[in-house]
Amino acid sequence: MKHTKEGEPYGLVTNIQKYTIHDGPGIRTEIFFKGCPLRCLWCSNPEGLSHSRQLGVYPSKCIGFSKCSFCINVCPEGKDTPIIYRNDILVNINENLACDDCFKCADECPSRAIMIWGDKMTVPDLMKIILEDRNFYLKTGGGVTLSGGEVMLQWDFVLLLLKACKDAAIHTCIESSLYCPPDHLEKVYEFTDLVITDIKHMDSGKHKEYTGVGNELILSNIKKTVELNKPLVIRIPVVPEHNNNEENIRATAKFIIDELGNNIVRLQLLPFRKMGTEKYATLCLPYPMEEFNAPEREVWEKDLLHLTDILKEYGIPAVAGSSGKML
Amino acid sequence: MEENKKTYNTYKSAEKILPQPVEPFDREWGVGVSGNTPEPSPFPRINRILSKTAKTTNGFVPHERAMLETEAFKKNPGAPQVIKCAEAMANIFRNTPVYIYEDELLAGGLGCDKKGAPVFPVFGLNWVVDEMRDGLMDYSEKRTHDYFSFTKESQEQLESIRDFWAGNTIEDYANSMLTDDELKGSHAGKGVFFADAYIYCGAGHLGLAYDKLFKLGFKGIKELILENMKNIDMSDPEGLKKHTFLKAELIVNEGATNHIMRYADLAKEKADSEKDEIRRKELLQMHENLKWISENPPRTFWEAIQLVHIANCMIHMECNGHSISYGRFDQYMYPFYKKDTEDGTATREFIQELIENFYLKVWDLNKLRSHILIKTFGNGGIGGQCLTLGGLDKNGKDATNDLTYMAIDAHIHIRIPTPWLAVRMHAGTPWELKVKVANSIRVGTGEPKIFNDDVAIPSMLSSGTEVKDARDYQVVGCVEPDVTGKSYGWKDCGHMNMAKVLELAMNDGRCIDCGPKCMRWEKCGAKGDRLGLATGSLENFKTFDEVLEAYDKQMKYWCDRQIAVLNAVDMAHQQLKPLPYLSSIMDGCIESGKDITSGGLKYNFTGPQGVAIGTTGDGLATIKQLVFEEKKATGKEFLEAVKNNWEGHEPLYAYVNSEKVHHYGNDDDYADELTKFAMDTWCRHIEKRPNPRGGFYQPGAYSVTVNVAFGLMQWASFEGRKAYEPVSDCMGAVHTHCASHDVSGPTAICRSVTKLDHARATNGTLLNWKFSPGSLMGQTGRDSFIALMDEYVQRKGMHSQFTVANQETLVEAQKNPDDYRDLLVRVAGYSAYFVELSKELQDDIIGRTVLSFD
Ligand code: SF4
Ligand code: SF4
Repeated sequence: MKHTKEGEPYGLVTNIQKYTIHDGPGIRTEIFFKGCPLRCLWCSNPEGLSHSRQLGVYPSKCIGFSKCSFCINVCPEGKDTPIIYRNDILVNINENLACDDCFKCADECPSRAIMIWGDKMTVPDLMKIILEDRNFYLKTGGGVTLSGGEVMLQWDFVLLLLKACKDAAIHTCIESSLYCPPDHLEKVYEFTDLVITDIKHMDSGKHKEYTGVGNELILSNIKKTVELNKPLVIRIPVVPEHNNNEENIRATAKFIIDELGNNIVRLQLLPFRKMGTEKYATLCLPYPMEEFNAPEREVWEKDLLHLTDILKEYGIPAVAGSSGKML
Repeated sequence: MEENKKTYNTYKSAEKILPQPVEPFDREWGVGVSGNTPEPSPFPRINRILSKTAKTTNGFVPHERAMLETEAFKKNPGAPQVIKCAEAMANIFRNTPVYIYEDELLAGGLGCDKKGAPVFPVFGLNWVVDEMRDGLMDYSEKRTHDYFSFTKESQEQLESIRDFWAGNTIEDYANSMLTDDELKGSHAGKGVFFADAYIYCGAGHLGLAYDKLFKLGFKGIKELILENMKNIDMSDPEGLKKHTFLKAELIVNEGATNHIMRYADLAKEKADSEKDEIRRKELLQMHENLKWISENPPRTFWEAIQLVHIANCMIHMECNGHSISYGRFDQYMYPFYKKDTEDGTATREFIQELIENFYLKVWDLNKLRSHILIKTFGNGGIGGQCLTLGGLDKNGKDATNDLTYMAIDAHIHIRIPTPWLAVRMHAGTPWELKVKVANSIRVGTGEPKIFNDDVAIPSMLSSGTEVKDARDYQVVGCVEPDVTGKSYGWKDCGHMNMAKVLELAMNDGRCIDCGPKCMRWEKCGAKGDRLGLATGSLENFKTFDEVLEAYDKQMKYWCDRQIAVLNAVDMAHQQLKPLPYLSSIMDGCIESGKDITSGGLKYNFTGPQGVAIGTTGDGLATIKQLVFEEKKATGKEFLEAVKNNWEGHEPLYAYVNSEKVHHYGNDDDYADELTKFAMDTWCRHIEKRPNPRGGFYQPGAYSVTVNVAFGLMQWASFEGRKAYEPVSDCMGAVHTHCASHDVSGPTAICRSVTKLDHARATNGTLLNWKFSPGSLMGQTGRDSFIALMDEYVQRKGMHSQFTVANQETLVEAQKNPDDYRDLLVRVAGYSAYFVELSKELQDDIIGRTVLSFD
């Protein structure tokens, strides 16, 4: 666990979103932690991948070097600065050139054309924000959802935060790939009321192809979650041409029935939407599914409903989409 | 009684009602579909009327009303003003044209055909005739919506009375009492404040005493007048005045009965020539209803709703005011509903149909506004006819009943902008009603708005309203709590641009763009003079406290001037435009022997509004953070940047518009507290100041659409607004062209806005929300939304209203208006057809932050 200069443990957070209504019951505050061991092709939150703070670059917000140039002036690399501009406007920050990671340019940039992904936040910092919306949680059975990135990568900090939430009688949920050591899970579960996870593919080879890791650890952790009697919501991100075939869906159903005894709260089938292209650009990363042509709404909607019906045949509490009531 | 029963039953069996039920509460109507639904009503008749209804506030200008008024004035040249006005109204009631339309179950209009907007010369005839002559009335580049046609005859007739009214208007009277010092900052000057609302139209903003009218009928009122005329001591000057007033009351009372009888006769006439048997019976029943209510208290729901409509039409014909409101409709109509449905006089479905027909009748009414005014106040139609539902009863218990639900359903069944619906919420509002309200709001027409008893009632108590009266309040117009039938609140009579006050406070009383282009340059700047009070300059302030002090002093200075102008206008009304008909159906004027304009009612207030709360709050926060804490800019540099409209100061412009600066609307105490200070300062200098009717001032905190008008008159400002952009709307956060300053979602807005003291704004507050349909979908979306409303109510926010539309839809509608004729959106205290709004207003609505979470 990392600590601030003052010795307070902190977590690295990319975003905090209040009034989240689809990741767990009721109105929730969702906290996105930074860093993820998976590399799903369809990831739409690339800012959550890397474990360290990063600069995000939004050229369209730059007001022009001739008028401003605060970033360059403050950059300690002087004339070797990695800040690149063309036609008076910021283009990107060249990772191949020397950068101090001092983030001074982002601090100085008046227009948020350069911003920082990843805030160091302590438990009291986060609890202050979480508690602001306590009344909304109470009115709707809502609470806090910790997500990412992969929330379990910062499990020891997350544990502290969850504990603080439970001390404040706030409902807690983690949304995790469950690609993590099982003993970490056991500790975190002590303060977790609901778990949301994904089954991305039942074939481990395919799973590895699409996410960078096999599915064995994930599936065994899902089993463990059910054994520990943790309420569990499973999601299938239905990605056309990747995992939307009937065979994979039936295999998923079989796993849920045979291995989990159908002991899950919900199975949600979520549609794939081509999102995050802009964010990849701001991080100067390639978008792996750039070339992929997403089908029309009518097509994927029909597909999603069809697959949901198959799952329902097995008696599984499957729903299409995430806007239905969760609990 | 027997007669009624027969007709209703005939009706019921003759025309089959479609299978769609009139739901009790839990129907989903779709999310964000607005008015774009064919045949929304379950009643074929209503859909037929709807298909013939123009989805527009365009209309025509008839001359009859103005001519009849002038005729009466000429006939009674020496009579006291109140008698002249009474004779004028009687003449109008007896002689303006009356109509009954195909399919309709209710009669009543403004003495002209549908969508006609009569002329009221005392509020200025010159501009009407001039606009007719100059082509500014009809569709033109200067009037792209709310345009009016007129006949050659009407133009000539109105032209012929121009001289008679010249010099005899409210404006002439008020201006003769004022000096340049009061007017320099007004609508006629630099627009620090507006106080002209009731120079060009009546004050309105009230509801008639429904209980009294239902109890007495016009005959009973006549008896009451006669009763009060007895034993007047004519040697007492007050007695003489009282007697004169009551004489006027008798004149209008008789005129009103006559007016209704003309409709009764017309119904009979129509019935006699009607071939269709069912329709003939309906017309005969309408004849009976009208004949009866022309004198007597109503006996059935049908008679009662007919009386409500026609009595209100007559108010419109007399006073030319906005926001003549329908009171607590579900309360005063309930006894009729109960009786009729219990004894079989009418079915629930027929009553539903009557309510829907009534709403459509209100849409027939129209009002003429100048081509300048419609730029910022467009498409209100008659404007402000609010109908209040739900809430506590006089004893403090929840008063929701069947009609509460039915009145909301009626809007969903027809999806037109009238009447404006307000639902009163409180800690004990039933869940079913919240669901009904949420489902209605999700449709996206913007109805109803929600109001909070737990703030409005204490707020009214604090201004001396009795408990029973306060609990029985109605909402008038956009957002103003009012005691129906007992109060003349002069609500919405003026506006103060708090952002301009801050500008003057920071620049030693001078406008920040002071220069030879200014209309007052010769009188003011060129002489080294200043518009406002010399309160020092940001250049020299040593501490932030000096900033606050300057703002406070400057505010007092401008409030004094605004009050002077408002009082002059009020006195002009008292002198030139007594309202004898209105006085007769309010509670108390007959007894006190005083016209409503002379303080004849129990409660007398004057309610101007503070505008640009967010802009001023963010301005203060920005000054504090940048100049006094971070020292990113000196006071001098900061003034310079604003003076230059931010040109050459792009980094500072970007910075003040960024999340790095404290902004109101993000649950950030730093900015929220200063915004509270901005608003409290306004309230402090307005509240409880005496007015000319024996009452006092009540501050409000909303802009309606005046934020656009003020914006057009103001140069750039400290929080990152460029010249002429709108200032912030109502209680909302700042949205400049560069950025929305509220970026933390709806829970943060809810909490920030409720840190302000709503109860102190006794004249009302207003908060606009905008949601994307996706965020309200499904039960999760609905229930989260209800929780948000609940929390807002619990945290003592007074009012909320909602637009539910995709940003893309609005932008698309702006481009292809013809495809979106039915798209209703929330404007301010009301909903209007989006494509009929001015470009400025459309942009302002598009600019509001959309709360989207899908
Ligand atoms: S500081 Fe920001 S706005 Fe200024 S030049 Fe650099 S990137 Fe552009
Ligand atoms: S002359 Fe200058 S200070 Fe005076 S009103 Fe005009 S702009 Fe304002």
